[in-house]
Amino acid sequence: MKGYTGKILLVDLSKGEIKEELIPDHVYENVLSGVGLGAYILYNRIPAGADPLGPDNILGFVSGLLTGTPSFVTGRWMVICKSPLTGGWGDSNCGGTFSPAIKQCGYDGIFFSGISSEPVYLYVDNKGAQLRPADDLWGMDAIAAEEKLIAENTKNKKPAVAVIGTSAEKLSLISGICNDGGRIAARSGGGAVMGAKKLKAVVLVGSKPIGCVDPKAMKEISSGLAKKMRNVNMPTFVKGGVLSLLGKIMGGMKQTAPLDGMLIGLLMKRWGTISNNTMGITSGDSPIKNWAGSVKDYPFSSYKKVNPERVLEYEERKYHCYSCIIGCGGVVDISKASKGEFTHTHKPEYETCLAFGGLVLNKDLDTIFYVNEILNRAGMDSISAGGTVAFAIECYQNGIITKDMLDGLELSWGNPESIVALIRKMIAREGIGDLLADGTKAASAKLGVKSKPYAVHAGGQEPGMHDSRMDPLVGIHYSADPTPGRHTIGSGQYYDMLHLWEQVSWAPNPGFYTKADEYIASEKVALKTVAMSCYKELTDGSGGCLFAMVMGISHWRLFDWLNAATGWKKSADELMEIGKNIQSLRQLFNIKHGIDPMSFKMSPRMAGEPPLKDGPNKGKTVPIEEMMHLHWKAFGWDEKTGVPGKPLVNRLKKAQIITAEVK
Amino acid sequence: MEKGIAHVSYSKCMACGICVGTCPFGCLVLNKTGIDSLNKAYPELKPNHGCTGCSLCARACPVDCITIHP
Repeated sequence: MKGYTGKILLVDLSKGEIKEELIPDHVYENVLSGVGLGAYILYNRIPAGADPLGPDNILGFVSGLLTGTPSFVTGRWMVICKSPLTGGWGDSNCGGTFSPAIKQCGYDGIFFSGISSEPVYLYVDNKGAQLRPADDLWGMDAIAAEEKLIAENTKNKKPAVAVIGTSAEKLSLISGICNDGGRIAARSGGGAVMGAKKLKAVVLVGSKPIGCVDPKAMKEISSGLAKKMRNVNMPTFVKGGVLSLLGKIMGGMKQTAPLDGMLIGLLMKRWGTISNNTMGITSGDSPIKNWAGSVKDYPFSSYKKVNPERVLEYEERKYHCYSCIIGCGGVVDISKASKGEFTHTHKPEYETCLAFGGLVLNKDLDTIFYVNEILNRAGMDSISAGGTVAFAIECYQNGIITKDMLDGLELSWGNPESIVALIRKMIAREGIGDLLADGTKAASAKLGVKSKPYAVHAGGQEPGMHDSRMDPLVGIHYSADPTPGRHTIGSGQYYDMLHLWEQVSWAPNPGFYTKADEYIASEKVALKTVAMSCYKELTDGSGGCLFAMVMGISHWRLFDWLNAATGWKKSADELMEIGKNIQSLRQLFNIKHGIDPMSFKMSPRMAGEPPLKDGPNKGKTVPIEEMMHLHWKAFGWDEKTGVPGKPLVNRLKKAQIITAEVK
Repeated sequence: MEKGIAHVSYSKCMACGICVGTCPFGCLVLNKTGIDSLNKAYPELKPNHGCTGCSLCARACPVDCITIHP
């Protein structure tokens, strides 16, 4: 076995048919497993123009090539589909324990087509797969449904469960798919696709071994990383308060240089992603007040309330995903915050803390805890939900949403009660919540053109909580990627920590550089974003985690693990071409489905149009259109249109990755 | 293959949980704390675990911290 199983499971929900299919080696050699395998299946099999919520859409659950091998932080699984939120390629990934479970059932991926007439769930063990009725689960929140399925299906080994909450059942376009007690593959609206298919859950209880070609070599690489990680510990006397000061220093720097990515390991081990809660605000990384404000609107008196050290006061235990040695997660006590309704929630990520903190000017930590749990249970994306609440508040402040539409809610900035009430309405699709449950772009289309400036999105997807006016490269990824609005694809800060130039011949070494240079569209900046994208696709094809990835190529040795697992002897440059294949295939998917790549350009506000008047990003603008053109050109795509060029298309055809007709 | 049950060497273990996910019988659980300063949960055999000493966990461990012996 070469890390992959070479087999997928196909489930036709309309007919109730289940069958296996063998995947030839050349597919893995050209696009890996995970998101690459998914792109191979979806590009060739979803007809052009298919309704994302219709029977022709295919929903895939894929594992990574390295998942289950003796490698670290490679346990993420991916949801893939045609996105109902953007109309194009959709993917999202999540940790927990679901990814190895797919492979332990004997498959690299499970793909669903059709629509079931009644709610069902898929059960798979070593003996086979079957569709089972899920009428009794329909209407349950994701955590309750998961607990019930685990209780009913545990013999020896605890099953891994992916499940939707009520939000996806109600076809909210900002709903995701949950596992491991409310962790969520939240982006791209995959939950709505699952809800439309009447598929409540997937329950996996396999125990088949996962092999690789050279386990000894893999373990040597892993042991090297283990040794480093063991020694990376933040001294206990360093408290979270220092992070806002660090952010201030970083935000004010005119020049910078690549850092060692182990810094991320240090921050993640101690605090998790909340290490950015205050650092992001003072550095300018965190968008404030629906991207129209700054630290002046959310000053120390506010952001000190979301200081990571305050969050840790409620952390009862650490939590980490399968195969992870960083352990950024935690479980926090929210019995007080929820007034007894719940006992615990997963420690909210930075994204949630900011989306329901600075973005809406809320400084009440209990509200963030509570909203985190109800969104996890409903299976709604906290990034998109927070962005949509911010949009609604600004619409109300400007008279576009009126009092009579709100059932008595006072939608003022930083009003915790209103935020909670509005989220409840969105989850239930009640009143104004029905209008807002599909995100800002859909809501703005209904509210009219006057609301457009307040609808902050890229291609219909609300952006992550990282400001493109502080890091223009994240703006390129927000706008030029086939899945727009995603902070996890790349950024300038990530690129600097990867140190790809040490192994990839064409990846630019930034050296000591002036930050202002990143605000100018240039071929060097474009090449950095291309290298970043290719490497991220390799990571997603392997089941890798972003936080391990940014520790850098000399620590988290993805290239070496891939060769050891598969027996390939590919150079770093050759492996990066696989990343380029995956990214080009995702872009070709969008072209096939009629997407104009320029339509994914981020909202003007995100590019500093108009420029901010205060804060670390004061006066900054990003020439995003010009940057998108150069990014496409550097990818070998048409500079003007963003369509992958003939040489790339022919390469994918020759490799038998594209088997469908390309128009 | 040596007869016995799984034993974890906590001086080498990174608490990654691969062994827990690999065990076909669900014998291991991440429950042992007090090992490091972050108080992370490390793997241990459950009470009445039923470990057969099949060694799948040991083979899967990236740092070879599990051995099978009586």
